[in-house]
Amino acid sequence: MRGDTVNHTSDTTAAGNGGTLGPEQAAALLDQTTQQARRKFQPSPPWLLVTRAVMVLAALGAIWLSVRGQHPYRGPTAADIPVLVAFIVVNFAATVAVRRHATAGVSGRSRFSRGEITVLVLAIVAAVVAMAGLGAAGVDFATYPTSVLVIPGLAWTVLMAARANWRELATGLAIVVIGIVGAFAGPAGAWAVAAVGLCVMLLGSAAAIAWQQRA
Amino acid sequence: MNDDGLDPLIHVPTRLKIVATLAALPDGDTLSFTRLQDMIGLTPGNLIIHLRKLEDAGYISSEKTRNGSAQKTTVTLTRQGRAALGTYTQALRDLLGGLDRDGTADHEHRRT
Repeated sequence: MRGDTVNHTSDTTAAGNGGTLGPEQAAALLDQTTQQARRKFQPSPPWLLVTRAVMVLAALGAIWLSVRGQHPYRGPTAADIPVLVAFIVVNFAATVAVRRHATAGVSGRSRFSRGEITVLVLAIVAAVVAMAGLGAAGVDFATYPTSVLVIPGLAWTVLMAARANWRELATGLAIVVIGIVGAFAGPAGAWAVAAVGLCVMLLGSAAAIAWQQRA
Repeated sequence: MNDDGLDPLIHVPTRLKIVATLAALPDGDTLSFTRLQDMIGLTPGNLIIHLRKLEDAGYISSEKTRNGSAQKTTVTLTRQGRAALGTYTQALRDLLGGLDRDGTADHEHRRT
């Protein structure tokens, strides 16, 4: 509900703590409080997703620029590795910090259960083991950066299906699709697919969450 | 219900904020008293008074847990409370839909 004709701040102040409310004031207060609460409880706020999108495009795009001219392909240079590690560490730390702040004092489905966290960690470990195994067996795309996305993406999709969270389920499917498309892009092209695909996916998620918060 | 069809228990600024804040969480999720107090911006005494009224009506439920010397209180919006907010929201929509361009309600014209 939107109180389009009413100034939210003055309504809230005028209404006071125990005063009486007109319908327009009540609608404005309800709208304002609901939007504020949704923003504060959101573990993946749009600003974080947009920041992450820019970072992933810059980090993976920089690696693509450095490997695209390699013939034969040798992989990221020694200078690229710290950039990739820094991106992963900063991304993980920011995600944990923001999620912890958003879910402070909240119990229930808003938080991941231990079982769900275990599934996600096992999926990441399984992806690394599968890539190492396939790489040792001589499968080319096992060493592509996008291949590591498939198993965690599938795990995320299954978890979100169990939660009936359709927006996040779409995110999981998008990650799987990026992983599969990358397998056909060649070793250097996979970095570009990862950079652009993940950036678009994150921007899409940010737009969907921003729209949901205003609905 | 009052004359407008608005639930008088919710139609108070502070309680409307409490119910709307709890409704932003998924069904069944609980919120700690301290986080709710921080979000609403009330003193503990004031918040307790309003929570008690909502709990007496069955709109929220609270639970106290003790961890050593610290006591933690959590509150959650019940299904009845979520339904009451839905009814209240619909009543507001109906009222605002019936407002004239100058902001006066149709039913006020009918009374005069």
